[in-house]
Amino acid sequence: MVTQLLANGLIAGCAYALVALGFALIYNTTRTFHFAHGAVYTLAAYLFYTMRNLWSLPLLPAMALTLGLVAIFGILIDEMIYKPLVKRSSSLLIQLLSSLGLYIVIVNFIAMIYGNETKVLSPGVQPTYSLGAVILTQIQVATAVAFAVLFISFFVILRKTRLGKVIRAMRDDPQLISVMGINPLRVRRVVFALGSALAAVAAMLTGLDVGIDPNIGMAAILNGAVAVIIGGVGIFEGAALGALLIGILQSLAVWQASARWQETITFVVLILFLIFRPEGILGTRRRIEEATA
Amino acid sequence: MNYLLHILTMINIYAILALSLNLLVGYTGLLSLSHAAFYGIGAYISTLLVMKLGLGFLPALLLAIAGTVLLSFTISLPSLRLRGDYFVLASLGFQIIVFSILYNWVDVTRGPYGIPGIPRPKLLGLDINSIFSYFVFSAIIAAICAGLLYLIGHSPFGRTLKAIRENEIAAAALGKNVTRFKIRAFAIAAGFAAVPGALFAGYLRYIDPTSFTVMESVFILSIIIIGGTGNLTGPLIGTVLMIFLPEALRFLQIPDAIAANMRQIIYGVLIILIMRYQPQGISGEYRFE
Repeated sequence: MVTQLLANGLIAGCAYALVALGFALIYNTTRTFHFAHGAVYTLAAYLFYTMRNLWSLPLLPAMALTLGLVAIFGILIDEMIYKPLVKRSSSLLIQLLSSLGLYIVIVNFIAMIYGNETKVLSPGVQPTYSLGAVILTQIQVATAVAFAVLFISFFVILRKTRLGKVIRAMRDDPQLISVMGINPLRVRRVVFALGSALAAVAAMLTGLDVGIDPNIGMAAILNGAVAVIIGGVGIFEGAALGALLIGILQSLAVWQASARWQETITFVVLILFLIFRPEGILGTRRRIEEATA
Repeated sequence: MNYLLHILTMINIYAILALSLNLLVGYTGLLSLSHAAFYGIGAYISTLLVMKLGLGFLPALLLAIAGTVLLSFTISLPSLRLRGDYFVLASLGFQIIVFSILYNWVDVTRGPYGIPGIPRPKLLGLDINSIFSYFVFSAIIAAICAGLLYLIGHSPFGRTLKAIRENEIAAAALGKNVTRFKIRAFAIAAGFAAVPGALFAGYLRYIDPTSFTVMESVFILSIIIIGGTGNLTGPLIGTVLMIFLPEALRFLQIPDAIAANMRQIIYGVLIILIMRYQPQGISGEYRFE
């Protein structure tokens, strides 16, 4: 029972981790609190639903098309919403508020077109696999595999490629990379495309597992953002670690209390971290003046 | 006529919400997404005290204010000494937790069923029962709150908040305990939010958790962003505009099924446009810099 719950929580955490990694990629490099990341997540789920259930496209082309479109959409958000603000050096507060406005616009458009009710992506009983006492559905296994593959590729890119080096440089000092002759506005494009695609993977897998409604993006962005903070801002591994922790704790909460308190758990964890370890699991303590604004 | 009085009463209620959030956003430069939570806590505490313990409107209101102020410390103490982003996220988290408690703690709040049959307030032997008397009553309370918030804004305390907003490190260098000022500003804003909560409950005579959602917090925030922050006129203009806007949309005959989404889209687009072209809003002074 407990191992089953741990496994379920860990796999839910894998999906959160993909959202968190995408959010961290954008937040750590651009400093933009990309609240609309949640709306990107919702959009990905509905695009996938449209292609699979309304246009009956085969699974893999539908996934590939969703990923591509969502990546382009992520770039468009940056071009149309954030870049004009960055160019007139608007504050991060203004960017956050614009992002919140954008979230509202996208999610309500989706609700207007598709309605507020839950849509089921994969009807019927899913095939299951058993690993000892733990029984996992096909989609759960796919989620774990997708997370493992993407997590490893993410860090290979980050550590071993020139792009990864640029991303790390931008995380450490956004101003400095333009001195190095790299155009930060182009790095932003890559970061928004990749970050949005990561959220799309999580949205499609979670959608297949539990269905979708227009508000799924809210929980996704909350879990993702909290994961980034409790993992340690600026540390990509921390985001994934924080997300897995949230997944497991939520799953244990269902066992001890009820599923209704899942979101409450996330924030109790956040508050506890802010009190006792504000630098996050993997962060190092810095004075407030040193912290990047 | 009653329709107009109803709208004006709602304007009074939302004016207090907007002006109190303005103390936080416009004066102190802190973005909070938990104002609807304090509004809801005020509504529920005062309602439960009136209905379960038979308290009068005023004592119940004062205890509700005390309750919201105390609860405000649960987020302000852990998060306000940290970066602004953390506070936004913590306030959003608080909002979600409060909604979850109002919705799921059925034994006390009746959860989704809501609380019907809330008595209209009685003050100094006067029954405030007609729509007109409730409008006058809410207008007087709103005026008192606006006056108090004006005095707070123009006191040395309010000027310190503005100094923190403009340059936190400079304010700290002048010997101001920045975190302590922020915590107090947050507590005051939360306490004021309890007042419209009690007014709303006494007016509609029914409350349920759906009046106090995240989207309601976003709505209150959008009132002051669109109207402008940092002074009194901005939030007041925003309130009048944003309460009349849905009524105007009603005359455009938009089908009910999409009217709610349509409204939200308009709010979202307005926030984006204001942030890009006129961050001080229609008539505010703070440009979120």
